[in-house]
Amino acid sequence: MNPEHPQHSRPPASFRRSRTGLVLFGFLALIMSASAQEEITGIVEPVSARDHVRGPRTAPVKLIEFGDTECPMCKRLHPTMQRLVESYRGQVAWVFRHLPIVEIHPKAPKEAEATECAAELGGETKFWAYLDRLYEITPSNNRLDPAELARIAQHVGLARAPFKQCLASGRHAARVAADVVDGFAAGAPGTPYTVVVAPNGKSFAVVGNQPYDTLRLVIDIALQQK
Amino acid sequence: MNPMDMLEQNPAHLVAEAGREVLGRPAYLLLASAIAALVLAATLWLPNYRLLDAVFSTPGVTLGTKLQLLASLAGGLASNFGVTAAVAAVIVPVLFGVDVAMIVYFAKQRRTRLARGEIAASLGGAASGAVAAGCAACGSFLLLPMLSFFGAAGALALLPLGGAELGLLSIALLLLSVYLIARKIATPPVCELPPGGPIAPAARQPPPRDTP
Repeated sequence: MNPEHPQHSRPPASFRRSRTGLVLFGFLALIMSASAQEEITGIVEPVSARDHVRGPRTAPVKLIEFGDTECPMCKRLHPTMQRLVESYRGQVAWVFRHLPIVEIHPKAPKEAEATECAAELGGETKFWAYLDRLYEITPSNNRLDPAELARIAQHVGLARAPFKQCLASGRHAARVAADVVDGFAAGAPGTPYTVVVAPNGKSFAVVGNQPYDTLRLVIDIALQQK
Repeated sequence: MNPMDMLEQNPAHLVAEAGREVLGRPAYLLLASAIAALVLAATLWLPNYRLLDAVFSTPGVTLGTKLQLLASLAGGLASNFGVTAAVAAVIVPVLFGVDVAMIVYFAKQRRTRLARGEIAASLGGAASGAVAAGCAACGSFLLLPMLSFFGAAGALALLPLGGAELGLLSIALLLLSVYLIARKIATPPVCELPPGGPIAPAARQPPPRDTP
């Protein structure tokens, strides 16, 4: 050992400490990922009668979107999804399921319930009209004035009083919660999360507001899986 | 460089000079570019690793389509990030590449290890950059699970930039790390004097032997 450079014989204390820190960080990450993986099956619930579908239910490819009405990325994805359903007329069905992230958007669950009230009072047409309008006017990031919910109902042609009564009752909260459970089980790490389901059942999960071209590519691949 | 000149220089000049010294060498420029490209690619592709896995393992999908998908996901930088997050997503990989190249250069030139501060700033910058990359989708990937784990997910709602602050934090940490390593590179390799200055040679001499 060189007595002038004793640090060469073993790593210096700073290095040892940073190494310990790294090990701890890795351990923590492992625990976190393990706890997060507990309920994830990676399987999305098949489309059923309870789902809100835009486009023909018999379409060979289903786009199952898990969305949060206060998420800015979901707001930006919405016109892309509208365009896709138009472009692939008859070949693609867009399914919307709720995944309000209450930790960052506490207003989103009630907004999700509001869309369900629209569906209850006016059917599928009003559900989609309500959702389109909500995304159109919300500033996102939990900044939509709750008073707007009744105004949107009126805007899409629903009567205010029964809508307000439905929203106050909270009777669709369980439905929204069931979608959230489905989203987490399907492996959604956040929103928007879109699962493209091919005719043979193979699924392709897209995280985030990806460009139109990306989604088009994935749909084309899905259409070939027969 | 004269140490007195170094002290008088402002941090930007110091970093620029050290950067020129390191990145002026093609090998280090290549290293920095490769790391930056790798980190940027990871930022864009890692959140969609399951999609890539599904597509790449699907029989009948041509290589051209797979490459097209990789390229189109790069477009997510515009569609999937806010302005602050997009800027951070580009700057963080570049700074990280430069930082690593400078650390490797310094370690090879001086054959020495870095102090805790430099290592911490570098790792902290890279780690927070990785977490910030997860903010592409709302509450996604790393940030929300991490905050939830600590029971602080609600704190995210209080941040004015909705989590993009982490990108700015990682830029600050990486700038600090680059500055610290640049200062080391700019310091001439000398044996440092002990605090309080050198001991006079006379004081070091052993006392004269008693003569019988």
